[in-house]
Amino acid sequence: MKSDFSFDETDRQIVAELRRNGRATNQQIAERLGLTATTVSSRIRRMEDADQLRVVAVSDFAAHGYEVLMQLSIEVDSRPASEVAHELARFSEVFAVHVVTGRYDIDALVALHDFEDLSHFLLDRLSSIRGIRSITPSIAVDILRYQFDVAPIEARD
Amino acid sequence: MSAPILDDLDRQLIDLLARDARVSNRKIATELGVTEGTVRGRIKRLQQDRLISFTAITGLEMASKSRLAFIWVQAEVERTREVARTIAELESVNAVLITMGSFNILALTLFDELDDLVEIASDTILAIPGVHHVETSIAVKTVKYNARIAKITESGEIDGGGADDGE
Repeated sequence: MKSDFSFDETDRQIVAELRRNGRATNQQIAERLGLTATTVSSRIRRMEDADQLRVVAVSDFAAHGYEVLMQLSIEVDSRPASEVAHELARFSEVFAVHVVTGRYDIDALVALHDFEDLSHFLLDRLSSIRGIRSITPSIAVDILRYQFDVAPIEARD
Repeated sequence: MSAPILDDLDRQLIDLLARDARVSNRKIATELGVTEGTVRGRIKRLQQDRLISFTAITGLEMASKSRLAFIWVQAEVERTREVARTIAELESVNAVLITMGSFNILALTLFDELDDLVEIASDTILAIPGVHHVETSIAVKTVKYNARIAKITESGEIDGGGADDGE
């Protein structure tokens, strides 16, 4: 039912303005695009109601005290990879889980407060999941770019 | 670098704005029981410290590129940073991490056609001087993804002073 939602050029221009400054007022956006504030407001509402747009504050990992970021490449053995992925997704330390093609079966992004959390995560959390054959961690030592403004959008409650 | 400390008010503010960044300062102030000036000041500081950033997240249906791929790169160790910088400048690359592991750089990209992925990974990144090997893997199913917490790498934000009330 949402798949027939389509964006036109005006929608895209409004989204571009919101990406530049998500807190711009409807009036400010309207003036920049030569529209009325009412149009801007109803366009934004329409995209939000269709679950195709969220204007949000994104906070930095550091704001939450996460100092260690790791990407885990996981090999699964004698179990569907999707099942293992869903179990991983339940942990709060796990920020993203994807079933992937290639040498590994699952890729997961994990954020920890410090290295002391690592043993708890590995020994208490991961070891409770059946079917993990191997875990290859890559620890992020620097992040040069991190720009994701396209994402699966959850419905509002 | 020590971790910046957020107090309860900062956290409440971030929670509110993570749900909807277009709430007016006035509404936030009423909800949190503080003045509008406090709200404005806090938001400004959080933005200046690069702890929060406001953006528009669009759904996959709106995106022309909606498939995610991981491009793992082995680069000469002494040229890692230089290579990572070059990759970060590529327009179609969404994220670049320097990593410690079997690969020293991880690039993430959103793509539409397989040809585009081949072009970015095998034709462009592999051809950067200092790159020895590239492996790609495609996300076929995303089970979890949190777009609200990320790494804020640049502050191109302009303080709009608070959006309109949504009526």
